[in-house]
Amino acid sequence: MKLDVAIVGVAETPPMRRSDKGVRGLVIDSVLAALDDAGIAPDEVDGIVTDSMIMPTTVPHDYVAAQLGINSRFDAAISMGGAGIVCAPLQAALAIQNGLADVVISYFGVDWGTRAAGPYGFHDVYPAKKVFEKPYGFNAQPAYFALWARRYMLEYGLTERQLGSVAVHQRRHALLNGGGQMTTPLSMEDYLSSKLISDPLRVPDCCQITDGAGAFVMTSGRRARDCRKRPVYAKGVGFGSVPITGDAVFTQNPELLVIPGAKAAAGDAFTMAGVGANDIDFAEIYDCFTISCLMQLEDMGLCEKGEAGAFFEAGEAGLGGKMPVNTHGGLLSYSYRLGIEHLVEAVRQLRGEAGAAQVVGAEMGLVSGLATPDFGVLVLGGENTR
Amino acid sequence: MKVLARDDMATEFMPFWNAVDAGHLSFPVCRTCDRFHWYPLNLCPYCRGQDIAWSEVSGPGELYSWTVVRHAFDPEFWDQIPYIVALVVFPDAPGIRLVTNLIDVAPEKLSFGIAVTPAFDARNAADDPLRFRIVSA
Ligand SMILES: [Zn+2]
Repeated sequence: MKLDVAIVGVAETPPMRRSDKGVRGLVIDSVLAALDDAGIAPDEVDGIVTDSMIMPTTVPHDYVAAQLGINSRFDAAISMGGAGIVCAPLQAALAIQNGLADVVISYFGVDWGTRAAGPYGFHDVYPAKKVFEKPYGFNAQPAYFALWARRYMLEYGLTERQLGSVAVHQRRHALLNGGGQMTTPLSMEDYLSSKLISDPLRVPDCCQITDGAGAFVMTSGRRARDCRKRPVYAKGVGFGSVPITGDAVFTQNPELLVIPGAKAAAGDAFTMAGVGANDIDFAEIYDCFTISCLMQLEDMGLCEKGEAGAFFEAGEAGLGGKMPVNTHGGLLSYSYRLGIEHLVEAVRQLRGEAGAAQVVGAEMGLVSGLATPDFGVLVLGGENTR
Repeated sequence: MKVLARDDMATEFMPFWNAVDAGHLSFPVCRTCDRFHWYPLNLCPYCRGQDIAWSEVSGPGELYSWTVVRHAFDPEFWDQIPYIVALVVFPDAPGIRLVTNLIDVAPEKLSFGIAVTPAFDARNAADDPLRFRIVSA
């Protein structure tokens, strides 16, 4: 399949730990701003696509349609969280290229900064959790990824400083961006003396917790040329998964140190886009933790297995390096809205709107979305890649 | 924190806890393809076989990975931090990785592959989890 769909509008609410607006209000704000960015009126929207697990229960499509006066002709949802966000352009393309919709919006928002259970609450959907994990205090993502990180350090020789270099580089990017939640510098010394949360992971190894939303607007390549901003094209989308449940995946996946679905999703996205890993100018990786950022780079084929830590340590993932990673600071330092901020940032980079954190000459960017056991990869191209 | 009450527990999870009550550690294995799987399922995830047996583990397990949790993500664990969450593998149940706590040991004493064994005696009630200790040399 050859994609012919463009992202013509993006927006986000300002990242913050707590907002009094509520997640529905935040989403509406971001959708309206994304439509304004595109120069498209709300009543021209005729399709909605989101993830299928979190948005349908917190900011349902019918609510957004009712609020904005959207007469939907196409409605779809795919995967969960981050993987759903980056795969939304695939469903939008299927609709737009087959005449089922003209303008499709996608959105994602969370209020995990103000909600008591925060990002840990939704795990209760998994039946094995209360029987085999929670009684041991194995109840939060930092502990799950810490088990991976410890084992990964043994098998691949990853060092504490290499983990730290992910956090340090991304903090530098966040300060250049200036709009993220983290506004103070982080040196390697700061990292090494920071508080351990769940060994070997420290506070700076873990993503932010955020109240906020983001949205994007998609239409055909043809219509995109008439929109307000420079179009950014969805060149390739890949979805991958493995047959294991979302609770067991953190401990029982036979290949525990491989990100499920990452290789398959990247392969499909590259094939669809007709490009290879070497063509990627920058990458926005779902860095829920430093360790998961490294593993994704490797399992998508952007680094050799076991080499991503050295890639960061050598500065190659920083601005000016071979392939800058998380140019806005990522989930670690910018905000944690499950990757909608990654998609928004990638579009800004390809439009040349990234300010002090602009990747010079950026033509092709990659966005990954992790929602174990699902994984999504989106390859985006700038104006000259159509 | 207690293990979910048996009345609320999925039936396929119960044989594990019934065995623990009897002082044994056992895991589901498929009689058709002989492979272990975890967490318990009604069909073997490898061959879809429905004939699932529970096989007792004879010896100690080995430490595969661990973390010292130092933050009470769930407020209920406020008085327990720091605590050790371990991932344990068993030579006679390949494919199983058990999540548990290690008790009566300082984190500095831990290393990959050390022998650990279930602390059945540390359980006081049927809804207590099953923690592990290291096997002293
Ligand atoms: Zn079987």
